[in-house]
Amino acid sequence: MTTISLPTTRSNWGLTALPPLALYIHFPWCVKKCPYCDFNSHALKFGGNGDDGRLDATLESQYVDALIADLESCLPLVWGRPVTSIFMGGGTPSLFSAESMDRLLAAIRARVKLLPDAEITLEANPGTFEADKFAGFADAGINRLSIGIQSFDDAKLKALGRIHDRDAAHRAIEIAHRHFDNFNLDLMYALPQQTLAEALQDIDTAIAAGSTHVSAYHLTLEPNTLFHRYPPAVPDDDLAADMQDAIEARLAAAGFEHYETSAFAQPKRQARHNLNYWRFGDYLGIGAGAHAKISFPDRVIRQMRYKQPADYLAKMHEGGAVQTEDAITLEQLPFEFMLNALRLTDGFALNLFTERTGLPLTKVIHEIDRACAEGLLERDLEHVKPTEQGRRFLNTLLERFLPD
Amino acid sequence: MDHIRNFSIIAHIDHGKSTLADRFIQFCGGLEMREMSEQVLDSMDIEKERGITIKAQTAALQYKARDGKVYNLNLIDTPGHVDFSYEVSRSLSACEGALLVVDASQGVEAQTVANCYTAIELGVEVRPVLNKIDLPAAEPERVAQEIEDIIGIEAADAVRASAKSGIGIEDILEEVISKIPPPKGDVNAPLKALIVDSWFDNYVGVVMLVRVVDGEVRPKEKLQFMATKAQHLCEQVGVFTPKSVQRDVLRAGEVGFIIAGIKELASAKVGDTITTVKNPAAEALPGFKDVKSQVFAGLYPVESHDYESLRDSLTKLKLNDAALAFEPEVSQALGFGFRCGFLGLLHLEIVQERLEREFDMDLITTAPTVVYELVLKDGTVTHIENPSKLPEQTKFEEIREPIITATILVPQDYVGAVMTLCNQKRGAQRNMQYMGRQVMLTYDMPMAEVVMDFFDKLKSVSRGYASLDYEFKEFQAADLVKLDVLVNGDKVDALSLIVHRSTSVYRGRELVSKMRELIPRQMYDVAVQAAIGGTIIARENVKAMRKDVLAKCYGGDITRKKKLLEKQKAGKKRMKQVGNVEIPQEAFLAILQVSDK
Repeated sequence: MTTISLPTTRSNWGLTALPPLALYIHFPWCVKKCPYCDFNSHALKFGGNGDDGRLDATLESQYVDALIADLESCLPLVWGRPVTSIFMGGGTPSLFSAESMDRLLAAIRARVKLLPDAEITLEANPGTFEADKFAGFADAGINRLSIGIQSFDDAKLKALGRIHDRDAAHRAIEIAHRHFDNFNLDLMYALPQQTLAEALQDIDTAIAAGSTHVSAYHLTLEPNTLFHRYPPAVPDDDLAADMQDAIEARLAAAGFEHYETSAFAQPKRQARHNLNYWRFGDYLGIGAGAHAKISFPDRVIRQMRYKQPADYLAKMHEGGAVQTEDAITLEQLPFEFMLNALRLTDGFALNLFTERTGLPLTKVIHEIDRACAEGLLERDLEHVKPTEQGRRFLNTLLERFLPD
Repeated sequence: MDHIRNFSIIAHIDHGKSTLADRFIQFCGGLEMREMSEQVLDSMDIEKERGITIKAQTAALQYKARDGKVYNLNLIDTPGHVDFSYEVSRSLSACEGALLVVDASQGVEAQTVANCYTAIELGVEVRPVLNKIDLPAAEPERVAQEIEDIIGIEAADAVRASAKSGIGIEDILEEVISKIPPPKGDVNAPLKALIVDSWFDNYVGVVMLVRVVDGEVRPKEKLQFMATKAQHLCEQVGVFTPKSVQRDVLRAGEVGFIIAGIKELASAKVGDTITTVKNPAAEALPGFKDVKSQVFAGLYPVESHDYESLRDSLTKLKLNDAALAFEPEVSQALGFGFRCGFLGLLHLEIVQERLEREFDMDLITTAPTVVYELVLKDGTVTHIENPSKLPEQTKFEEIREPIITATILVPQDYVGAVMTLCNQKRGAQRNMQYMGRQVMLTYDMPMAEVVMDFFDKLKSVSRGYASLDYEFKEFQAADLVKLDVLVNGDKVDALSLIVHRSTSVYRGRELVSKMRELIPRQMYDVAVQAAIGGTIIARENVKAMRKDVLAKCYGGDITRKKKLLEKQKAGKKRMKQVGNVEIPQEAFLAILQVSDK
């Protein structure tokens, strides 16, 4: 059952302005679950649908219907607010057909005010089957691709349990180039058995491929993954740190700005949708397991939808798939703001804290100044940002803002 | 008095002492079935978990024997660790007999040997019982022979039993009646009652477990405590079945409790003799010792604002633990805390664990030390309980360390290994005596070497067969030096140690290398150095961590990220911030993990 969040009890608390609103759409299926992945993704069942790596057309259509119904159910929460960006993530959204994406985006445009220059990103797998759909995706109005390359090294791809290979990756990038002037390549480093040279080779290849954005993630062995239970031999902390240093230097030399912990962009090519998260903006989240954060004058809420695709579809059929809805307490707000905003190299304008949390700066200024004294943060009267040391030890910095 | 039998059970851990006690209580109807829990006599959680008995407990049982008469059996459960050997000897001296319970498949183990000899020395009748005879691996004949060989008591006709399956329980009780003598004592003589144990009860104050040797004791009598010279009015007497049951009188030969409105455990010391003011006994029972702390360590709250609650917790613990001593002390590195005195390392661990569990304290414990005697230049003698307080070498004439006489019983096969160990620990052999297949070794050894890990080492080199008993002998001049530890160049007083010069360099090196392993990598390099006098003898670096950051964080599920950070923060809370270095609890005790050369 849906739980209703009550307004924040503090009567003198309130937001004077609502933040920008983005839309996240989750697509929960993958051909195969990767051993490092802790996202809400589910392998297609063999024998039933998708035994050839394709999604059953009926299921696909049902899911798109559910997404549209889901969005409609959210509308009362965001009346009149324009949507600034859309992100279609997964799972593997590119398993869906271009026609389905077209239908979905048309339905969205009909229901919310989508800004004309809105960034619309689709996560895509660099498989042959998906790459052939890129043209159709572009026609549907998608204007940015995020391609899950991970590595250009066949041995590493195999170790990561990926189903594509180096050649497929190159072909996907080539096709992406033809249809998109803006695309991101997702890469991972500190892979099993990886050397510094190999890690740099991947980065160089990504730069040469002409991408406008690179996300370089340190492979993390997340709980509830196969890698966590059977950890592969990954580079030690020192080598991984060396890789990070070298990767940052290489991308900087190629004109990429390191604007967030793991994100690098060509000028004006920052991921606008993700920036909204990091600036503690609002987002609707529709689809199985999607999370949302929505601000109101008297409260800020988080929602989570049912994670299992079958549960989600069934609940949507009954009228709503929100599993939990909670108001963020005033005690938690400063930490949640920092968790996001301090990931940005540029940090945040001090008045943004008050605007987004409705709390006076005095709530955090003591911790901020303490961190400044320790060389983790630097600030002037208008702005605060993490130092090099603060970016490296972001966890240590963030712990300070956790409520006791 | 002919119908009274006072006895205890001597057994190795896991040989079934507590289960056997449970069976006796059940057989004699001391508790209803619903009141029975496993090992009813071990009441503290730590006792049940570790399988050791810390406090003595008793059960007065009514047994209708095969001869038709009803006997009063008093079972006294005794503690079983070298730290508590004084308590063991007091418990045993309250008995006329003891059952030596031996696992019929495993045979005689060391722990039982020491207690057995204590019992025999005190003139207690020891009767063997072969337990667990229903196990397929049981070899009662061989084990009986072993008992005769090692301990030297008749064991051919030892009762065969299984406490778990209830076999032979009645036979054991019959054995108790027929083989263990009834107590001797004169009901008409002046009162002499031995305090076997005492503890604090929130409602009635101090409860004393006593064995009445002569005379009788009734409520309303004015009692005289012979060692402490204190006087208290007797309020209640009674017995434990093991539930407490009030009686009108306790007579010579009986075991029971006395409550006399005493507020402090210190005035009801174990081993003291109670008599009456009106008709006092001429002399006290033998064997009383004032228990002194042997091992000292600093206890500090991780969060300095917990200092007051640590004081309260220690005060509460002390209500029930007369051997625990504490006084406030200040450390530059750790702030306000307490210097605490313990009977031994096990006692320290128990106190530490109880503070953490029962009182929810986060603690830093400094490395345990013994007391040293210091002769100053002007000839005055002082005592040092805290290594950091040891002045420079030029400021004193002589430093003396406590020497103990250790008596070790070990089967012949392990004599060589045990002697090597004693030599490593700077022991000087005083005697060596063959007793059947056992050898009794007597060594004079520095107490500092014995209290740390000697007992564990002894067990491991003798496969658990050696047993140890020791008593303080004297303070002896020794070539001792203070080993200081510096973290990022600053001396951390709480890490100072007093060590023998001959092993100081080795220990210093091992200590810093152990600390390097125990201190987690942090934002900055951490240098750990060991110094003697002004000279650095060892240095290790804990290299700075390079980064600590979550690779991914999007709008999605932030609760997991938050939990991760909360866990990380909680982990740091268990560390003590010294300067800008976070030092975990274990690093303060790193010396305990330093092995010998």
